[in-house]
Amino acid sequence: MGMFPSLFRAALPSLLSIALALLVCFIAIAVSRSDLSIAANAYLQMLWGGLGDVPSFLGSGNWSLLTRAWGESAAKAALLTFTGLAVSVAFCVGLFNIGAQGQMTVGAIVAAVIGAKVALPAGLHPAVAIAGAAGAGALYALLPAVLKVRRGVHEVISTIMLNWVAVSLVENWLVVGPLRATASGDLSRSGTDEILPTAELPRLLGSLSRLNAGFPLAVLSAVGVWFWLNRTSNGFEARAVGLGMEAARTAGIDVRARVYQTMAFAGALAGIAGAVWVLGTEYKFPATLGAPYGFDGIAISLIGQNHPLGVGAAAIFFGVLRAGGTRMQLLGVHKSFPELIQGLALLFVAGRLIWDSVLRRSAKRAVPMAEVPRA
Amino acid sequence: MDFEAGEIVALVGENGAGKSTLMNVLSGLYTPDSGEILIEGQPTRFRSPRDAIAREIGMVHQHFMLIPPLTVAENVVLGLEPRKRGLLDLTAARNAVQKTCQRFGFSLPVDARIEDLTVGSQQKVEIIKVLYRGARVLILDEPTAVLTPQECDDLFAVMRELAASGHTIILISHKLREVLAVAARIYVMRRGKLVAQVQGSASNERELAALMVGDARPSPSIGSAKRDRGELLLEIEDLHVPGAQEIPALRGLSLRIFAGEVVGIAGVDGNGQRELAEAITGLRPWTSGSIRFRGEKLRNPSPGELRHRRLAHVPEDRLSRAIIAPMTVEENIALGRDREPPFARKGLIDFAGRRERASRLLKEFDVRPPDAQARIGLLSGGNQQKVVLARELDLAPRLLVVVQPTRGLDISAVRAVHERLLLARERGAGVLLISLDLDEVLSLSDRIYAIFEGRITGELGRAEFDEKRVGRLMMGAERERPPRAPSANA
Repeated sequence: MGMFPSLFRAALPSLLSIALALLVCFIAIAVSRSDLSIAANAYLQMLWGGLGDVPSFLGSGNWSLLTRAWGESAAKAALLTFTGLAVSVAFCVGLFNIGAQGQMTVGAIVAAVIGAKVALPAGLHPAVAIAGAAGAGALYALLPAVLKVRRGVHEVISTIMLNWVAVSLVENWLVVGPLRATASGDLSRSGTDEILPTAELPRLLGSLSRLNAGFPLAVLSAVGVWFWLNRTSNGFEARAVGLGMEAARTAGIDVRARVYQTMAFAGALAGIAGAVWVLGTEYKFPATLGAPYGFDGIAISLIGQNHPLGVGAAAIFFGVLRAGGTRMQLLGVHKSFPELIQGLALLFVAGRLIWDSVLRRSAKRAVPMAEVPRA
Repeated sequence: MDFEAGEIVALVGENGAGKSTLMNVLSGLYTPDSGEILIEGQPTRFRSPRDAIAREIGMVHQHFMLIPPLTVAENVVLGLEPRKRGLLDLTAARNAVQKTCQRFGFSLPVDARIEDLTVGSQQKVEIIKVLYRGARVLILDEPTAVLTPQECDDLFAVMRELAASGHTIILISHKLREVLAVAARIYVMRRGKLVAQVQGSASNERELAALMVGDARPSPSIGSAKRDRGELLLEIEDLHVPGAQEIPALRGLSLRIFAGEVVGIAGVDGNGQRELAEAITGLRPWTSGSIRFRGEKLRNPSPGELRHRRLAHVPEDRLSRAIIAPMTVEENIALGRDREPPFARKGLIDFAGRRERASRLLKEFDVRPPDAQARIGLLSGGNQQKVVLARELDLAPRLLVVVQPTRGLDISAVRAVHERLLLARERGAGVLLISLDLDEVLSLSDRIYAIFEGRITGELGRAEFDEKRVGRLMMGAERERPPRAPSANA
């Protein structure tokens, strides 16, 4: 019973930050077009773009008007959930994982290779590709963890640099070199070979939508991470290491093992993001990774306050916003505004100390006010 | 309350009596809801510690406000750094701090990093910091909690000197003997109120204790000295352990602990006590020598392995080593045993079992509030320590290593901790008590070892306890063991 008010209170700074970011962007659009109605319309289009064109649906009863949008939103939300979790899980043992981008990249290329070069039955193929991607991401995240524990190398530095190592290796060499798609006929292709149809993530609504199994997998992962952290002894130890490393060590917890394990876990989640992106959306590793989902994961993790369920919620919200953002272009408003909203929300969350003090002050003021009548 | 220039005033009271809150108001950390502070007759309001420093009030906190990777000099000048052409002038800072140290008779390595200093030296840095800022009113919160008797005497001399030159010293302490020795006037607080004001020369420990808690039972006495000790639990032979910066901290230390006895380590801070405790508990590797636990030679044991063999540990630095402040009391109790019943089943946390065990222990150890779900960081120091003891004793330890177990605790908490240690001994555990409080060591131990510069300088049975003799051994003035024969391969 007492859980929900406290959850709400914990989420309040994020909710206020998002509201403020929405407001600032609204003003920015209104000012740039010197027209309030365009801004209002743009927000409405963004909403319909993300959640589905509800008015047209009500008029026509055509479900695909909704489901198509859901597919796009869910695909983005799934990627943001995985990379967001990759950051927040590492944060539980006190490590700041800036390397989700690199871990996702190695995961994506492994998934693309398994998807294209290995023949497996339909049910098993995506599972093996995802497992391979998770393994690759885990190993790639283990590297900075080992450097941190054994050599004291700060994980922020090593994970940032390993991002560029991954991007250079994969995009500048593998994808344009050994793994480049074989040209068929006159068509020259970019990126790697397309994955086999058996490796594609199953679509949940058939031809109605591109909505694929990646989204439920992401939701399950968020719940799974929550369960691990809050219900298992192993997760408890990871939290203990993050909150008080020396005390955990003194009490006999194997701190090194928990750090390695948790960082590998974080990398695996980022690797799965790469797999879901390749197997569910792109069907190959394209010339470049395109959107920096790994870096977005940092923002999603912080807006979600490093809580697995908060990360899931933030990912869904911004997935919807971004999928809908494309529709704002109909009004001549640039589609990057959702990213601007996300960036501003992050900025405001980062300033949460200010929120906290504002909230505390208003709470404090509430007490004497009750006493005023007597005075 | 009022404080005059040139006097030493003590403020005593149990944990939670409001002493620290009052002093935080005086030093500008808290603002009062009502009431007034007058300085030389002028009503004053502090909005920040800066305001308090501007009015020449300086506070030395019980929990150090130091930046571990910076040097002593850097920490002292922080906020008031000497500048040359807009740039930090470290040489001037160093010299100024050196001078301040000399003036007040403190011997501190001004270029050493804080993290490499002992707790005792860190405390001294805190005091120098306030003096450097030219405070005329000094608030000292438990300043002697970690100092050696010699350092305490030095500090008192400094305090008297400062008072003689017109400074006002406000001393917060649990050590009533010190308070009586040094303070002209003593304010006694209980539950946020001033309950008494007495003259230092006209009072005694018993009266003060009675005023503070309303009852003045003495600490438990050791009971019969005739005791059978049990099996040999721990045998340390010729142990060499490097300390900070690879400087040897233990240089051939040997000792033995049997079941059913309390063995005290008497020594001045920084003579290897910390490293000894850390080596025994698996937190620090040793370079040569051996440690045997119940006859079995330990090789690079992990703390977890040792706990499994029922070696319990109450570490010195409670806030960083013993508890995880943002976690709940019950989570802290489960710490380290979180994989076994009643705390877990099949890898999953057993919430009911954990709650039940925690609640039982809280009741048994009289922890207040007895709320297993409270954040442990919100409990007072004494109650935190009770939780730590509850956790460690719940292991049914064979050997219990306790370091500074009553540092900064109030009378009733000290008594509770002492009773628990003696109870553990009754139940057959061996207890290694490492404390800088010589009274504590002498009153609880069946046997003591004196430690000096990383070696044992003497061993005394209870019948031979003599404060003066122990003091000489602690200073290395007397060696009661024949010098170690050089080993064959040395």
